[in-house]
Order: sequence, then C-alpha cells, then structure tokens
Amino acid sequence: MAHFQIKDLTFSYPTAKAKKSLDGVSLSIEKGEYIVLCGKSGSGKTTLLRQLKSVLAPHGKKQGEILFNGTPLEQVSQRDQSAKIGYVMQNPDDQIVTDKVWHELAFGLESLGYDQKTMRARVAEMACYFGIADWFHRDVANLSGGQKQLLNLASIMAMQPEVLILDEPTSQLDPIAASDFLNTVRKINIELGTTVIITEHRLEDIFPYADRAIVMDGGKVIADDTPRNIGKLLYEQKNDMFAAMPTPVRVFYGSNGNGDCPLTVREGRTWLSKTYPEPTISTLPAEELDDEIENPALSLKELWFRYEKDSPDVLRGVSAEVPMGSLYAIVGGNGAGKSTTLKAICGICKPYRGKVKVFGKPIEKYKATELFGGCLAMLPQDPKSLFVKKTVREDLAEMTKDEKKIAEIAAICEIEGLLDSHPYDLSGGEQQRSALAKVLLTEPKLLLLDEPTKGIDSFFKEKLAAILCKLKEQGITIVMVSHDVEFCAKYADMVSMFFDGQILTTDTPRRFFGNNSFYTTAANRMSRHVFSMAVTAEDVVELCQQNREAQV
Amino acid sequence: MGFEKCHPAVNFIYFSAVIAGTILFNHPIFLLISYVCGFLYSIKRGGWKALAFNAVLIPLVAAFALYYINYNHFGVTVLRQNMIGNNMTVESLVYGFVLGVSAAGVLMWFSCIYSVFTTDKVVYLFGKVSPRLSLFLAILLRMVPRIKKEAKKINTAQRGIGRGANQGNIFQRLRNSIRILSMLITWTIDSLTLASESMRSRGSSLRGRKAFSIYRFDNRDRVYVVILFACLTLTMMAVMLKQTDILYDPRIIMTPITAMSCLFYAGYAVFCLMPMGLEVWTQYRFWKARKTL
Repeated sequence: MAHFQIKDLTFSYPTAKAKKSLDGVSLSIEKGEYIVLCGKSGSGKTTLLRQLKSVLAPHGKKQGEILFNGTPLEQVSQRDQSAKIGYVMQNPDDQIVTDKVWHELAFGLESLGYDQKTMRARVAEMACYFGIADWFHRDVANLSGGQKQLLNLASIMAMQPEVLILDEPTSQLDPIAASDFLNTVRKINIELGTTVIITEHRLEDIFPYADRAIVMDGGKVIADDTPRNIGKLLYEQKNDMFAAMPTPVRVFYGSNGNGDCPLTVREGRTWLSKTYPEPTISTLPAEELDDEIENPALSLKELWFRYEKDSPDVLRGVSAEVPMGSLYAIVGGNGAGKSTTLKAICGICKPYRGKVKVFGKPIEKYKATELFGGCLAMLPQDPKSLFVKKTVREDLAEMTKDEKKIAEIAAICEIEGLLDSHPYDLSGGEQQRSALAKVLLTEPKLLLLDEPTKGIDSFFKEKLAAILCKLKEQGITIVMVSHDVEFCAKYADMVSMFFDGQILTTDTPRRFFGNNSFYTTAANRMSRHVFSMAVTAEDVVELCQQNREAQV
Repeated sequence: MGFEKCHPAVNFIYFSAVIAGTILFNHPIFLLISYVCGFLYSIKRGGWKALAFNAVLIPLVAAFALYYINYNHFGVTVLRQNMIGNNMTVESLVYGFVLGVSAAGVLMWFSCIYSVFTTDKVVYLFGKVSPRLSLFLAILLRMVPRIKKEAKKINTAQRGIGRGANQGNIFQRLRNSIRILSMLITWTIDSLTLASESMRSRGSSLRGRKAFSIYRFDNRDRVYVVILFACLTLTMMAVMLKQTDILYDPRIIMTPITAMSCLFYAGYAVFCLMPMGLEVWTQYRFWKARKTL
C-alpha cells in the first residue's frame, strides 16, 4: 500500500478562475521514500504539498482524491494528521511560536495532550538526536537561522511523524547551515525510515541522494523518475529547469557526454578523468587584475567599526577599490561583516576609523538628499522590508512622480505584470525584482546589493543576472555581497574574499575561484584535477568541447 | 544556586506572601523587618545597581512623610503649627513614614521578583490554570521582540534608499515613520497568520492540550515549603493575637511587646530572610566544598 496516493488531483484558487494551479496530478509515494519535488516558482509545488495536510490546504476548487495509508485524507482525523504528517515551511522565524527552545520542542506534544513523563522523555530524545541539548534553555530570539530551522524540524519530529514534508526549508539559510540541515533530513530518512517529500532550490545537496525526482510545470507533473534519468529528460526537452540541475549533470549533457551521468562532484571527477585523461587544452585564459584603478567608483580605506562601545570590532581595516561600471562581489562566511560593510558604504553605520569615498568624494561631504537621490542606494537582504504600500505600483510611485520612468524601470526589472499585486503576495524572486525596481527609481550610480540571490530559484537568478548586466551597460556600478559562489563566479567582474572583518584577496572570478580548492564552485571542484581556471559549468563544457575538437 | 532555581510555585507563594505582609502590616517592627530584608535581598541579587536604587528610595520616603504631615492633621501630639495654622502631629508624621517605608519595601521586593521570576515561570504558572492562556502568553513573549527587530530592519532598509525615520526634514521624517509603522502592522498580521498555520499544523486546535514544563518539585522545594508554612502559621497566630495591630489615630496605640511577641518577630524575620538564607547557605556550601578539594 502506498503511503500517499494522489489520484488525478486538480485544484484552482478562487481568485484565479481559469488557471488551474494543479492539473490532473497523479502520484504514488511509497513508505520510506525520499522524494524531491522540483519546478520553477509558481509551478504548483507548494500548492501540491499543502494539499497533503488538511489544515494547510488552501481554499479553492478541488477535484480528485488523496489517500493517506489507503484512507481518504479528509477521513483521517485531525489528531492523526497532526502527529503523522510533519510539515516544515520556508521561513524559520515564522514557524516558531513560543519564546523558549524547550517549549517549542514540546509544542506538538502539548497539543496531543501527552503526560509530563512522556513529554519529558520525547523532548530529551529529540534534543539529543538533533544536538540541541547545548541550547535547550535559550531564548529562540538568540538562535541563528540554521538553528531555528533545525528546531522547527526537531519539534515536528518529536511527534514521530510517518512522513515529513519540507517546502524549501533552506531558502533563508546560508550554504553551510543549509547543507547541515539537508544532511539531517537525509539522516532522518535513512535512520528512521521516515518518508521525505522535499522541494528545494539547492539541488546539488539533495539530488544525488533522492530516490525519485518529480518535476512540475504549470501545475502538471512533467517528469517522475530517478534523478539520473530526470537530468536526461530535462535536457532532451530543453526545459528551463535543466539550469537548476547539479553542475555535474549540466556539464555531462552540455558536452554530450557518454556513459552514466554523474550526479555528485566525486562521480563528475571520475567521469572527467576517464573522458579526458590527458587533455590537450587544460586551461582557460584568465586575465589578471589591474593594480591601479583610475577614478574608482568606490574606495574604502581601512574601515574600522563596532556596533557598541564594548562589543568586538566587526570591520577590522576593510580596504577596497571598485572600478566604475563593474560588478564587484564580496563573498565570505556568515557574520564576517559583509553586510556591515555595505551599511558603512551608505552611511548607516559610521566607521570610527577609515575613509569611505564615493565617486572620489568622502561620504560625509555628501548631503543626505544628494547621496540617496541619484548617487547610491542599497537593496536589503530581505526585499520585503522595502515595501511600504498596498501595491507594487503605489510603492514605485512613492519614489518618483514620473510615470514614464516607472514604466521604464518596471520593464527593465520585468515586473509589469505584478504592478497591482500586494508586495507580500509575490514569490521571493518577484519580490526581489520589485524591490530592485524601487531602489533603481532613486537613479543610483552605485548600487549596493545584500544577498540578492537569497531564496530565489535558478531561473529567477538568471533573470536577475540579465537585469544586472543591463544596468552595468547603463554605467551603473554594482557592489554585491553574497554567499552564492556559483552566481559570483558566473557574473561578477571582481570577487573579494571577506574574512575576519577584512577583505583578504581580490581577483577576477576565474583566478579567484580557480586558485581556491575548498571555497569554490562545484564546477571547479569537479574539474580542477584535469582543467585549471574552469569555474562555471559553462567553462568546463567549453574546455571539453575544445579538447574534443583538438582530438578530432 | 539561588532562589530562582526553586519551583515556580514556591517562588509564587513566597513572593505573594511577602508582598501581602509588607502591604498589610502597619506595625513598625514587622514593617522594619520586611523593609530591611527586602533591602538586603535586593542588593544580594542586584548588586550595586540595586543599592543605588534602594538609596534613592530613602530620601523619597522622607519627602513623602513631610508631604503627608502637611496635609493630614489627625492625632493629638502636636509638634507645631504650620503657616496656615494647621496642626502638625507626631502621629501623622509616623504614619507618613510607615506608608512611605511600606511602599519602598514593596518596590524593593518587586525588584527581587523581577530578577527571580523569569517569563517562562509566569508562562508555567498560567499553564497550570489554562494551557491555552499560557500558550497565548508565550506567543506574545515571542512576538514583541520580533516586532521590535523587524521595525529596526525595515528602518535600516528604508535608510538604504534615503527614506528612513531619521532622514529628511521634519515632515518627511513623519511621513517615513508613518509608512514604516503601517508596514510593520502588515508584517505583524502576516507573520501571525504564518505562525497560526504552523501551530495548527502541529495540532494546536486539538482538544485536551497539556502544558509542558521543565520544572520538578523536588525535596528541597518540599523543605522550603514546610519552613515557609511554619513561618506563615506563626505570623497568622501573631495576627490573631493582635500582635500586628497598631492604631495611629488619634494616638499611637499598640499591643505591648512581650517575650512572646519576640517569638513572632523572629518567625517573621526568618520568613523574610528565607530566600537570602538559601542563597547564602548554598554559597557557603560551595565555598566549603572548594576548600576540601
């Protein structure tokens, strides 16, 4: 008997009459399976997942049937559904209800009305299994994003669910916390046999371990197969989702590889060394960085900053120079001070030592209206915090009265269709672009971006990159802070490593990531033993092709 | 290990009793005992800051007594007459001091309560009454700091495009602040909706909710309660034997102090010193244990 049996499920939201959010979905999910659900934003992934738990199912017109352990879901009692179907949502903060870690862990057990003794035992078990014991007594407010999401997972696992549904659980986490979290989910699946249904942008971390991948598009299931076959299918269909596949898959099909498709970096390495044992061309041209930058758009000299008098320094001598019209990326770990650097550039944080010069003029010489009206602007990490009105259009009108200008910027950011929506109703990628539009209406010459790729899928990332390229052509200088090494490698002109409150090295992406061996892209890790300076999947594909042509 | 490590119910009973005693007893000796113990215990817990706070209270008490004597003229022992010819009496002066000291005592005890009684203890005690109410309280405790944080975040984001609450002229500032506030409200509603989804998904609407606690009622708590109730009984006896009674109007009249009264005073003093005693005793044990190592 299948764990979940979905029979011809069709669903449409009451607001969108004609459009079906789910269209004839039929699936069967076995006990203990690990299933990855992928698809572009708005393809119906979340809608489908929410149908699997009655309390979360949105209102709308529904046809078809969902069976849970052979019983129609509507007939499974609330109590059973609460305990047996665990659901982890996107934003770690919004799911935590109480103020203490121990209370949150026990929340579900309290609802189910267990006695104190059972609750204590279960809570202790969970705290040990998830490594929470050290921060058991803490206030939730003091936890990091990764810890919060782990707490959400643990508090659901305390009810001992049979199936775990996760809706983009790591989209708000940094890469290290994200892969920790996904490893824990995998461990639960392997050690406890809990069925896992997960949607994720970060396919690199889960794709190789999934039993099955299901691809959705426009509310339909377009593929349902093993991960290895899915890559092939998407490549043959020329589907947009192919861009989201792990690097080894993209390199393999991109260079028309033969044999079994590699899924992990390790498999990719083996495949590359078999296919190109002695490559004739093994490196790509990597230009060096000019030491002297004339008229930098931004120059930072030895910035020192701390938030409070007695707190440790966050910036410890940050120096950098950014040439006009370039896309400059700062990468580095969590809490290293990257975002603080951006805040120092736009004067939100005032360094106690050092100098910030924007277009050759010290920042304190600017008047506030001059600085933020046509000189620089910052896009914050959470685009939501930029919106102050009920529709995107009103929000944009806030910045300028010039209708033409708004239309122009909306066209650049491709948000014409979203202008009348409430900003909070948009998806992550759409919010990001609307916020970018709002920022661009101040007509900045220097644009500061804080984690612009956080929480958006690969398809939207490409869109964002295209927008950034357009802006660069208009002569706008862009400074970006990011965890996303793949994005920086592909699109930045210069990359800097931020560590311990300083910028340590700066180089062109190829030289920067090409010379790193840990903190680098998957493409580089996969190919560094045969090729050098290949840092994106496209680079590796190009080298493969050059070599093939040379062999012929 | 201090008093805060005791079971919340013990904390609650103790502090209710001690506050009630401080307010109800007008008898100068009982009041003085409670005042001095509150003074010492708040310093024990709060250090220099508490000492400064308590010290500020003393002139305030005196000021209150002076204010009181000028506006209340009961009593028979006239000290002198004030400018407009009203009597200033010893009785009203003493009563003014009694009121002031009792208010100061309550304030000092409250500073102790504040440091002992953490929010999760409040949540726990409410959980005993109604698990739903306590859940509501816990949600509130989580939401308030979150809203503060979000307000800061929105303001920072707005500052990044020159629309912060402290940018521009006064009118712009006002407009920016109102916008930030309105968005903050939207955000709060939005995140409460998500939180309620997460709660329902974990069965919060099911019947038969129980409150989980990390507290255990152990032997030390039992000993503490026994001593506590012994002292309370002794004090109740004092009340019944009119040992705590005193009249200030028209003349100060109190039950004569006998050997037995001293027993009651001692009982009340032990009661007021209990948390302090526990903490000093534990510290002594640690000190001794370290010496033998």
